Amino acid sequence: MLDRIIKDYNDAVFETDKDAAFEVVNNALANGLTAEDVVFKVVIPAVEEMMSDITRDPDANLAQHFMTAQIAAEVTEKMLLKFAHPPEIIGRVVIGTAAGDLHSLGKRIVMGCLKALMVEVLDLGVNVPAEKFVAEALNYGADVIAISAMMVHTATGENGARKVRALLKEQGLEDKIKIVVGGAPYRFDNELYKTVGADGWAADGIAAGKMIVDLIRAGKAS
Amino acid sequence: MTPLDILVAAINGTPAPRIPIFCNLLDQGARELGMSQREYYRKGEHVAAGQLKMNRRFGHDNVWGLFYVGKEAEFFGCDNILYAEDGSPNVGDYVIKSWDDIAKLQVPADITAHPAWAETATCLKILREEVGATHPICAYLTASTSLPALLMGMDKWMELLMTGPADLRDHLLDLCSQFFQQEVAAYRAAGANVLVYSTPFGTHYFVGKKRFESFSMPWMKRDLAPGGVGGIVYYCGMAPFNEVIPAVMDELDIAIHYISPLADLAVAKSTIQNRLSQHGGKGLTCGVIDDIKLIHWTPEETRAEVKRMCEIGKPGGHFLFGTGVMPMAIPEANIKVMLDAAFEYGALP
Ligand code: B12
Repeated sequence: MLDRIIKDYNDAVFETDKDAAFEVVNNALANGLTAEDVVFKVVIPAVEEMMSDITRDPDANLAQHFMTAQIAAEVTEKMLLKFAHPPEIIGRVVIGTAAGDLHSLGKRIVMGCLKALMVEVLDLGVNVPAEKFVAEALNYGADVIAISAMMVHTATGENGARKVRALLKEQGLEDKIKIVVGGAPYRFDNELYKTVGADGWAADGIAAGKMIVDLIRAGKAS
Repeated sequence: MTPLDILVAAINGTPAPRIPIFCNLLDQGARELGMSQREYYRKGEHVAAGQLKMNRRFGHDNVWGLFYVGKEAEFFGCDNILYAEDGSPNVGDYVIKSWDDIAKLQVPADITAHPAWAETATCLKILREEVGATHPICAYLTASTSLPALLMGMDKWMELLMTGPADLRDHLLDLCSQFFQQEVAAYRAAGANVLVYSTPFGTHYFVGKKRFESFSMPWMKRDLAPGGVGGIVYYCGMAPFNEVIPAVMDELDIAIHYISPLADLAVAKSTIQNRLSQHGGKGLTCGVIDDIKLIHWTPEETRAEVKRMCEIGKPGGHFLFGTGVMPMAIPEANIKVMLDAAFEYGALP
């Protein structure tokens, strides 16, 4: 039965059909699958598989990427409410777009992937000042500050990631909180993230999810 | 030959001393005139003067009627533009905050009577008088399928597009298409002759093949039908689009393509070249340098890239060298090196 569910769910997601995906999930629950199984055996593997399919498929596209992340995040959020025991959360992330930047799509996709990977995410919105990134990260107990920037000046300028780095340094928080970045300028120039003081970057949502989970795990291990 | 003659020769495939060389210096004009961005973009005179000064200094072929892309949102009531000193102004607030706002949205009956047009018109008038006879004047026009991103943000637009009610989506697109049709007519009437059709949703990269055919293509046809494709340049906001070139040439009849630096230029060039005969032998492959890398490239790296592009593009003619929206962070020396190299490697026998 599980194989069938997985296949139907994957097909629905690949076709970017949210209603169909939810129907598969609801049927699975009605047939006795637990919410935990839905998340760990269907949704999470699907995100990973989808993304690798999407990477391999020459006709892969942003709309699919968006919907995969969106559906996974929504299903996971609904299922979490039904969990018998609170799930083990990998870590916490605050995410927003850099000061001066209102490009919201990349952030949204990354958020969806993180939620589906059992990372708690607080969305700080768009045009977020560096001070706010740091203050909210402290409040929220975040392991990672994630900054999305679509334009060169918001990616590399004085008020974006660089300032967040300076503030973390000033406040002695560099061991506790990592900085990750993403967005168009980093995709055009893969070395750019280093120059803005980030600990990591990723080219797409699923790579971002993996990179952030690894970073959190490495931080907790040390 | 004037830069305008050189552009026409490149499109027609007739002899010329060199390829056309476009360089899109927008925000740099403020620095050129020693002004803040806000002050610079307040007046059409400034935007014209800044560009004319830079053209004299750098010698590239084109000038722009574009101030910044967010200006298009001003016609729909956006009055919050976020200025930066080190980059392009951005829409600072979305006019569509919830789906309900779409019903209230209006396209001005005559966009040329709207206050947002006045300074653009002044800028175009000056450019036309000063260099209209010799230099191509570019306009930037966002396609109906991409304009909603400026009005509501990209994530909300993607959400409406993928999961929202079709009638609401189509109503919004209809308004955006009406706006486009007026805008392209206004720019043409004001003397712009290179009309950059910005259509990121017109790529497989954004929506996939199926949705490109069923969604993007019909709306693009609708945008372009009343005014035709004279002077239209296909451009996807620097997203790659090689795979749609055949459809765009066959179905939209557009034979001028502004290729992404992330795409294979040789493939683009041969795809376009193979279809020129269907377009009366007219068409153009615009090779576009990755101007984000120009920020830190050494002179040698810059020259090598310009050389590589020209070597791919020049054989068979119908080639232009161009840039994206050059970021402010590019050192002036690199702009010089790039343009010098383009004139050198872009020379024709
Ligand atoms: C679509 C698009 C537009 C559209 C829509 C804009 C909008 N409001 O969203 C339109 C046509 C309107 C437009 C306008 C402009 N644009 Co534009 N646009 C693009 C384009 C083609 C795609 C951007 C996009 O939405 N991508 C989709 C998202 C999902 O991808 P993404 O954000 O990169 O996110 C993925 C990854 O990067 C990563 N990621 C993202 N965030 C994060 C965060 C973290 C922490 C991690 C780990 C990973 C991660 O995961 C995401 C999901 O897979 C890019 C070029 C390109 N190829 O990327 C230019 C681009 C971003 N635009 C650019 C510019 C300059 C502009 C303008 C400023 C032009 C102007 N002079 O006015 C205007 C600004 C408009 C405004 N807001 O006021 C430049 C910016 C570079 C620069 N020069 O500074 C680009 C790079 C094009 C270029 N090379 O010239 N644009």
